[in-house]
This record gives sequence, C-alpha cells and structure tokens, in this order.
Amino acid sequence: MIQTLVPRKVKVLHRFRETPDIVSLTLPKVGTCVPGQFYQLSVLGYGEAPISVASYTTKTVQFTIRQAGTVTNALANLKKGDTLYIRGPYGKGYPLKEYEGKNIILIGAGCGVATLRGVIDYIIHHRHKYNDVFLFFGYRNVNDIIFKKEAVQWKEVFNFKTALSKEKSTTCHDWTSGHITEVIEGLKLRTKNTGVFICGPPRMINDTVAILKKKGFTDEQLYLSTERLMYCGIGMCCHCMIRGKFTCKDGPVFRFDEIGYFKND
Amino acid sequence: MTKLKVGFYGITGCAGCQLSVIFQEDDLLDLLELVEIRAWPFIKDVNDDETFDYVFMEGLVATNEDKERLLKIRKNTKILIALGACAHTGCVPAYRHFTLQKNYAHLLYEKNKNISDVQPSPIDSFVQVDYVIPGCPPSKQEIRTFLKTVVLGNIPKSYDNPVCTECKLHNNGCLLEVKKPCLGPITRGGCNAICINGGLECWGCRGPTDDANLPVMVTILRKQGHGLKFIKDRLVTFAGTKMPAVRKLVYDKNNKA
Amino acid sequence: MGVYTLPRSQLHLFLAVLSKRSPVYVPVKRDAIRFEPYNGTIDFSDNAYFPIKEHFFRKRETILRFDGQKLITVRPTSSKKIFFGVRRCDLTALKHQDSIFQKQYKDPWYKAQRANTILIGYHCATPPNKYCFCDGMGLEEYQDLMFYEQKTQFLVEVTSVKGAALIKKYRRFFKKANKRITDADKHIKTRKLRKRDFNAIYDHHAWTAGVNKCLSCTACTAMCPTCYCYELHDELDTLKHGTRCRIWSSCQVKAFTRIAGNHVFREQREHRFKHRIYHQIQYFREQHGFDLCTGCGRCIAACPTRIDWVSIANKIT
Repeated sequence: MIQTLVPRKVKVLHRFRETPDIVSLTLPKVGTCVPGQFYQLSVLGYGEAPISVASYTTKTVQFTIRQAGTVTNALANLKKGDTLYIRGPYGKGYPLKEYEGKNIILIGAGCGVATLRGVIDYIIHHRHKYNDVFLFFGYRNVNDIIFKKEAVQWKEVFNFKTALSKEKSTTCHDWTSGHITEVIEGLKLRTKNTGVFICGPPRMINDTVAILKKKGFTDEQLYLSTERLMYCGIGMCCHCMIRGKFTCKDGPVFRFDEIGYFKND
Repeated sequence: MTKLKVGFYGITGCAGCQLSVIFQEDDLLDLLELVEIRAWPFIKDVNDDETFDYVFMEGLVATNEDKERLLKIRKNTKILIALGACAHTGCVPAYRHFTLQKNYAHLLYEKNKNISDVQPSPIDSFVQVDYVIPGCPPSKQEIRTFLKTVVLGNIPKSYDNPVCTECKLHNNGCLLEVKKPCLGPITRGGCNAICINGGLECWGCRGPTDDANLPVMVTILRKQGHGLKFIKDRLVTFAGTKMPAVRKLVYDKNNKA
Repeated sequence: MGVYTLPRSQLHLFLAVLSKRSPVYVPVKRDAIRFEPYNGTIDFSDNAYFPIKEHFFRKRETILRFDGQKLITVRPTSSKKIFFGVRRCDLTALKHQDSIFQKQYKDPWYKAQRANTILIGYHCATPPNKYCFCDGMGLEEYQDLMFYEQKTQFLVEVTSVKGAALIKKYRRFFKKANKRITDADKHIKTRKLRKRDFNAIYDHHAWTAGVNKCLSCTACTAMCPTCYCYELHDELDTLKHGTRCRIWSSCQVKAFTRIAGNHVFREQREHRFKHRIYHQIQYFREQHGFDLCTGCGRCIAACPTRIDWVSIANKIT
C-alpha cells in the first residue's frame, strides 16, 4: 500500500548558504524529476513545504530554499548529515522537449531564479539542442544574488543580464539597476520560435507577461511557474487551486493561456 | 541550549490569565524545563526584571502606574506578548470607551486622589506588541503551544478562522438558529468553541477576525429582536477597543446610551 | 436484483436486530437531525443536519507519528458500520468523495473507513426541505439497499451484492414484492440549479448580494457532504514527540491561501465566496466531467444568513 502522504527519510548531502536568507540543500534523489517540478520537504515537528527542484544529477537533487516561514527556517537550519523527509516529485515541469531546436528566454526574479536553474543546467548539458538562450534575472540587491558561482559559467554560454532593483552601490557593473521588467521592456526580442519561462512573484509575472505580449509574444509561448499554499501535492487538498487548475497537479508550470493573469481569485 | 528568559506580569486585570498559566499542573514542571522564569510577581518573591526574551503581559493600562510599568518592561524585553483579552482588546474594563462620563462619574475614586486613572486601554495603545494570545482567559493548551513554538525557535501562528470553524468540527448545532446572540461568526477562533460546546453562545472574547463582516452580524442580531443598545454592549463587552467599527455602526458620541 | 417489502411495524425490530452485530447509524432527532447509533428512535422528517462525510473523511486523521526525526507509521484502523436512512444526495456525495480519495491516489485512511460500510438509503418522496435542489444534479445509485416509504410498508430495492446478502441474512423480515422501481419513482422533484457555463458569469454583479451577506464563517464547507479540502499540521505533544494530522479545511477563510510572508491569494471575500460555489459546480466538472455538488442544500440551510446562491445563480440571465 503506497501511503501517498507519508514521506521518505533522506540525509542532507551538502549545504550551502547562498544569501543571508537563502540556503541550498543537496539531497539524494527520489524518483525521476524534470526542471520545474517540486518535492515536499519536511522536518518532523515543523511541517512540510513544497520546494521546487533547483538542479539535479542522476543521484542527487538540489533545492534552493528561501527562509520565509517555520518549515523553510527549519530546513535552512539543517546541517550536512541531518535527517529530513521528502516525497515527490510532483507537478509538471517546463516543456523543454517542445522547445528543442528553438530559442528560450528565462526570466526570473528573486528566489524564482532557483526553479529556472534546473532549466539552465539541462540546456547546458544539451546545448546543441537549443538555439539562442537568454537569461534575465532580477534581484533586489547584490546580497540577494543566488548562484554567483554558476553565473560565471552562464555568462560565457548565454546572453545573460541581471537587474538589481534596490542596489545603490555602483562598484560593480555586472548588472543594470532597476526592475528586470524595465530591462526586458528596453530590449528587442525575437518572438519567432521562442519560448519564455518566467518565475517570480505574482506582480512581476503579471508585468512581465504584459510587456512580452506587447512585444508580440503569444499566450502559447509564455510559461509561468506559480506559487501557492500546498499541503498534499497530489491534487486533493485544494489549497493550491487557481480557479479550476491545481498548481500541484496541473502546474506549477502553466502555459499562460491556462491560467491568465494573476487576479487574486 | 540556553533557556529563554521569560517574565509574566500583570497590570490591571483579574489575574485569571496568569492563573491559566499556573493551572497547567501536569505540564508546569515540563514548562519550567523549557524556559527560565525570571520574574512573575504574582507567584514569586524574588523577581529579576532586567532583561527578558519574552514577557507575557496580562491586563490593561488603567492607571499611570500601569503605564510606567508597561513602558519599563517593554524596554527590557525582546518580545512582548499580550496575554489574554484585557491586554489584547481591553475587554470588560475598557467599556469606559463606550459610555459617557456621566454614567460612571459617581464610581470614580473621589477621596483617594492618589489613584490617578487613565482611560483604560489595551497595552498596544502604548507599546508595540509582538504577539497576542487572545481569550478570556486563554486556554492552557494555547499558552503551552506558544511556549513550545518559541522554544523551538519557530514563529507562533495565530489562528484566524472564526469560532464557527471549530464549532462545526464539534458537531454543534448553530445557536443563531435558536435565537441566541452568538458572536461566533465574527470572532477569532482557537478556543475549540468551548462555550458553544457547553451550550453558551459566543461572547467574542478573542476579538474580531480580520475580515469580520460586522454589518451582517448586526443585522442578524437585529432580526433576532435585540435592540441597538444590547447589540452594542454585546459586541464590545469582550472585544473592547478591537471592535472599532462598532462606534460607527451602532454608537456615536451623542447617542443617548 | 429484486424488490422486497418491509412492514412499517417491523422497521424497528429489523434495526434492533441489525444493530446487534455492528453499530447502525440512523437519523435521530436531537437539537437537529443527526446520524447516531440506533437507539430505538428514528426520524425522517428532514435531511440530517450533518452529512455522513465525517465517518469516512474524518475531521482529524493521524497521518504519521514522530519521535524526534524518527518517523513512525500509523496503520489506519477501521470498524464495521451500517448507515441506515441515507438520502440520495448524500449517497451520491459519497460516490464523489470515493472518486477523489479512491481513484488516482488511494487514500489509505479514507479506504479503511470506507471498507467496512453498508449503506442503506432512504428515498425522499418529497423534498425534505425548501433548500434542496438535487433535481438535475445527477444523483446516482450508490447504496446497497434503498428504502422507499409507503403508507403501510417500505419498498426495499436491492442494488448491490452486499445488499442482497443482507436481505438473505434477514430474510424473515422481508417479503418479495411484485413491483419494479421505475425511474419515475426515483425522481425527486425539487427546485433546480440552472445548468450553464458558470465561468461566463463569474464577474456578474448579482453575486454581490450573496457576497455582502457572507460572514465567512465556514459553516457551508463544514456541512457540505462533498467538500474535501484538508490541511496537514505537525502537532507536538512534547518538544519531540508529536503527530502529523490531517484536518478539515475551509476555502472561506484567508488562511486557506496564506503563504509564508503573509501573502493571501484569495484576499477578497468575493473570491472566497465564489471559489466554493465554482469548485462545486464548475471547476470540478472541468476536471472530472460531473458536478461535485449534489444539491442537498445544506450550505444554504446551515448558513447563518441563508445565502441562497442557487437562486442568485438562477436569476442571472
């Protein structure tokens, strides 16, 4: 009997602090996952939280967790070798197969970059299958930037731009100041044969989609990764419903025409 | 692990909320293992009130002394918790907010001029309150859960559902159906609907929920045949100053209350 | 599978004998009509105030226990139960719940409660109250036996193998009848919810009348025989020991969609109010092909302000 809500025990293989409030945990892999999917991680006594896959190898899977509440704090306080529980993977990932031979634009903001990291890794491994790849990542300030090490490589391989909305210091010019949406607005993007994967806070997604649609992207080209409160992960508890769609089962990556703009309903 | 330094204080109030802490006979010793109680004037002789991590404050500010004490404690603690309805909403003592001076003037101390009173107000009108444990009195369970949560370094969660949620989980019939002026639908739950389980309607001691639909509640009570004065009194008896809309709704300064 | 008759006078004897083996839950008049183990009385004057949902999808279910970071699995336990006098809407509701908890993912806790149950239905000759709207909500046969009340006797229709076995066992109470239960017999004439694409009227101003009267008290979701939302919580007994519990949840409150950082996705009452209705009659249909709602009308009967969303929806042209 498969007890769907009962997680499996794993141990932390590696822990890395990305920013003052973001931590990356590497765990042994459970099941097979694709970028964009998520697992339910739990520390017993604290609760469970859905965390999306940041990157994975054949044996391990990495999660990048922002400390926002009780569970994520407990997860972030784990050390190498500590026990935690995991179940998953759940949900639908990014449609990477569909966009083979085409261009991909990744737009992320804050911790949303973590879900796109899996896509980047995948593309790096299968670089010949994709044409131009653009990365547009927005953070609040320099301290919030995650995956600094990896970004060095990304800069060589992709067209990579970072925007920092609240950074005042001007010592480093690797980034543009302002919101990532402003950066995108000012760019000329080829719409033909291009898929756009977006992950970030609801408002940023709304703004980005509006800008991209003005630039001529169609609904079918835009993929959004969404965040909701979740308990079960299997389309039963209903907390994650976006109108008739379950974020956990039909998402968390939706094509824009499936859910439309975030409307608070 | 160093123990959390905790203080329990009471200003004007009935001390019932502090008793609610003491009454956890079975778990009191366990609790003492979790935290170090540095000050508890109610039950302790020696009180060291210099620095605290958490202070639970019962009662409301009714005199200048209360106020001074509260301000001093706030300075000495990292986290201040309003314990119980008086500290949270003002509860019964704050009723002065909702009546005219002539109605209570004859009750004021006239000879003892050294008792200088202030308009009785919950502690958040004077200092910043970090958490609230509502209820008149708060349940033992709730206080214990709170302590466990903070000892584990977690963020305490407030229960925002109305009393009705838990009431229905206890399979109670709706008291509004039998014409009892139950304030369950607009009152913050977390009390396990203890009053309604025993057949008593909710008086709203835990304060209104953050999306209480007050106009509809008043309409229901009006339909039951209750007068405005009754409704006003009922709404503010326990919810006190946390029922701000009441003034707009059924009470104004010129009302012949 | 056959139709039998049971004289009215024999009903209590039958229930008394039946309840010797396992508890028989029957509708009993208390402050309201409730399903309680048979104790000599039974009341069919109205539909039960609370549905039988709580016996299967229980209010609190222990998913697992833990001791520090050691997980202790909990085996679901179950006992044999018989339900007598369950109306068609609640039977259909149970079928819908089965399709949620027992289809793609088999929920062991639900399954354990559900495994040992015998359902004996009671057919409403007339709508039990004015809030019902089951006509046209696609009520189905999901019982083992169905009782049709007549002047002097009950017609008992056998609708499953379990039911046939039960009749066989208590054959002395039942007489074979030469009657067939027709579709007309099974039809309950109530008011109707107009079928339409509800997505098209989401923003209609008529909903405001309901929204403004809503207290967000969550009575509708708790009383609903089909609402199945739940949440999982870790509860500590001591600092280390505790349980992970599954408890009922209600979409009518902000906490339903509140995530860390205090962001609420369905902030406005309007959206929460509509979400329940839309999940029942639109979203569920999109996913499963049929309505979740069975038209028992409890959400209206239990509502402190009697928000009649059915007539609100029907009036929208």
